[in-house]
Amino acid sequence: MTQDRSQAHVSRRKLLAGAAAAPALSLATPSIAQGTLKGTKLTILAGQWYVPQTNTMLDQLAADLARDSGMEIRVERFAGDELMTKTASVIGTGRGADLAVGVEFDTYVYAAKLNDVTDLADEVGKNYGGWMDAAKAASMVGGRWKSLPIGQAPAAWNWRTDMFRAAGVDKFPDTFAGLLDAAKKLHAKGTPIGMTLGHASGDGRSTNYPVLWAFGGKEFEADGRTVAINSPGTLAAVEWYKEIYQYFIPGTTAWLDPDNNQAFLASKVSATVNVNTIYLASRAAAATDAARKNIVDNMDHANWPSGPAGRFANYNINVWLPFASSPNKAGQREFLKAWYSRTFLPKWTKVGQSYFIPQLAGFDSEDVWPEDPKLKIFRDLNKINRLPGYGGPPTPVAAEAVNKYILVDMFAKACTGQLTPRDAVAWAEKEYQQIARRRSRT
Amino acid sequence: MGSSTTAGAPNRSTRTVRRSRLSDLVDSERSLGYLLVAPVVLLLLVLVAYPFFVAIGYALSDRTLADPGVFVGLENFVLLWESSIYRQTVRNTFIFTAGSVAIRLVLGVGLALLLNESFRFRRAVRAAILLPWIVPTVLGTMAWLWMFNPNFSVLNYILVQSGLMEHGFNWLTDPDLALFSVLLVNAWRGVPFMAITVLAGLQAIPHDLYDASAIDGAGKFQRFRYVTLPLVMPVLLTALVLSIIWTFSDFGIVYGLTKGGPMNATHVLATLSYQTGLASGNIGEGAAISLTMLPVLLVLIIWQLRRIRRSTVA
Repeated sequence: MTQDRSQAHVSRRKLLAGAAAAPALSLATPSIAQGTLKGTKLTILAGQWYVPQTNTMLDQLAADLARDSGMEIRVERFAGDELMTKTASVIGTGRGADLAVGVEFDTYVYAAKLNDVTDLADEVGKNYGGWMDAAKAASMVGGRWKSLPIGQAPAAWNWRTDMFRAAGVDKFPDTFAGLLDAAKKLHAKGTPIGMTLGHASGDGRSTNYPVLWAFGGKEFEADGRTVAINSPGTLAAVEWYKEIYQYFIPGTTAWLDPDNNQAFLASKVSATVNVNTIYLASRAAAATDAARKNIVDNMDHANWPSGPAGRFANYNINVWLPFASSPNKAGQREFLKAWYSRTFLPKWTKVGQSYFIPQLAGFDSEDVWPEDPKLKIFRDLNKINRLPGYGGPPTPVAAEAVNKYILVDMFAKACTGQLTPRDAVAWAEKEYQQIARRRSRT
Repeated sequence: MGSSTTAGAPNRSTRTVRRSRLSDLVDSERSLGYLLVAPVVLLLLVLVAYPFFVAIGYALSDRTLADPGVFVGLENFVLLWESSIYRQTVRNTFIFTAGSVAIRLVLGVGLALLLNESFRFRRAVRAAILLPWIVPTVLGTMAWLWMFNPNFSVLNYILVQSGLMEHGFNWLTDPDLALFSVLLVNAWRGVPFMAITVLAGLQAIPHDLYDASAIDGAGKFQRFRYVTLPLVMPVLLTALVLSIIWTFSDFGIVYGLTKGGPMNATHVLATLSYQTGLASGNIGEGAAISLTMLPVLLVLIIWQLRRIRRSTVA
């Protein structure tokens, strides 16, 4: 499906005029300190979000704000890990940018070098019905907001309805036992499922953390430092995983982020965990590509099954990092106000087609959700996000464990038989304790 | 004899003295040598020595990206050994380096011997041989990633379609095979350098020596062993040491193919250092991991420098 680019072209002047009837909250019609920002500069570091219109809207917002405020605003884009490296460089040197797009861990890792934006966060929360728990966990350190959540990219079960039906499974299983049973049947039909067990920075965590939590396992206690991975819940999760792994497509321990997309698009797997990019890419090409049309017609998205401890998911949360070293704090705040304004954020969210969803409770009743019925499930997925490091916050210790793929490798070692499930959990516990001990000084 | 001067006019004899000092400086081989290497030394000091000593400082601290940290001595190095991931990484790095360099040595020397012969299109072949070396690392790695892909490997496709195998290899899935795969790609990239360097050494060997040995009745193998090998050894050892240094600190190939997986089976010190230092913000520990390579590389460099010095003195 192609988007009308005029929808993406957001002129602040037009929107401001249209918002005249809106309640007189500061974010509905953000004030611009005319003249006081003239001649100042604002540099924003960003990556490339998957849905092009979301990038376009960011650029347009920057251009409109620059025109209205007199600021010179530059959006610098970086691919993949480059953004993280550039952000680290800004933090280390104290110069180079005023704002950056980061992830939830960055709030904790860089907390001392970020501005306190509690007042802005409170205003945004008031305007949109309150922040969800995952948002607070991603951006609050010591009770203060040190970043502002942009949104989360929910990952769903992408499944082939035709392949499931052919295997005698009419709907996506709602329990882990059901999923195991379906995997057996699909494997027997030559259409196996696949879950990422390789060092994939996105799919690795969004595929594996929900399994741990659904069985009652967790990495840390509430203090964020006491390692709690070795538990009956974790062992149960590992044993389930070992059981289902034999019905996977071969090679999942080597899967990096693109691999499950490629396998699904080539119809080599009948189900995998992924954001909505597989569907959006296929939908965009369906008009001219019969294979992609087949995918669109025969796939759907499903929620995570519910386990003994509940139903959970794990997504990356993008945040705005307001650098304390910025010489243009007023400009920083004006940009953030503009971003979260009623004239921008709902439109940006809708254009993203549930690719990135702000964790604001009021959005559930706003017109931000896609019309496509195959994307409706993302509304539910938006509510069940947990962050790595649970039962504590996403601390640097948790971040290091994620970046070292401890949890992913724990499952992989048990699945491949390198270790027994019990030994795999013990191995993971030792590694978590190493990290916690090494980081206890900081 | 006195010199006359005019008030306000440049002193001719001063100018002459200045020019004479400058030309002495330039004419003196020793002084000119220092002058010419000064820019390079400055660059090395600023771009290599300074970051190196800063890294040592980081490795001896608990610095993170946002916190300058405090001095902790050798604690980072001691605690690292408690991690099985680190121990596995050190083991991987040695196997990766030894395996890749061995392949480079055998194939590189063999290729050099072949390219030293006369045959049609020799120049074109010599140029083509360099391709793996000059293609950007990321580009080459992406191509190999497709060839090793768990589900779309063209190598497995050929093996299966030709009837040689039923399923193909788990190139990046099996831990041992994955290490071999990344090692293979590293060797593929480094063989041209070894070949071209050794070829240069071969070309410098006087043909008279081969003629003389042939007259004495030496066969091909004996000529290689008693003429070629001793004379090409200095160049070979230089290429070998450089290959070991570069392979030991390789990052791009492993990161591009596996990011250290599966299950840390292909992690090398450089990738683990990146994962710990930059991705996780633990700068002190990341620097300590990098500096693990230092003792090994230092031994190699010192040995190489002493060897060069000995041959220069001789």
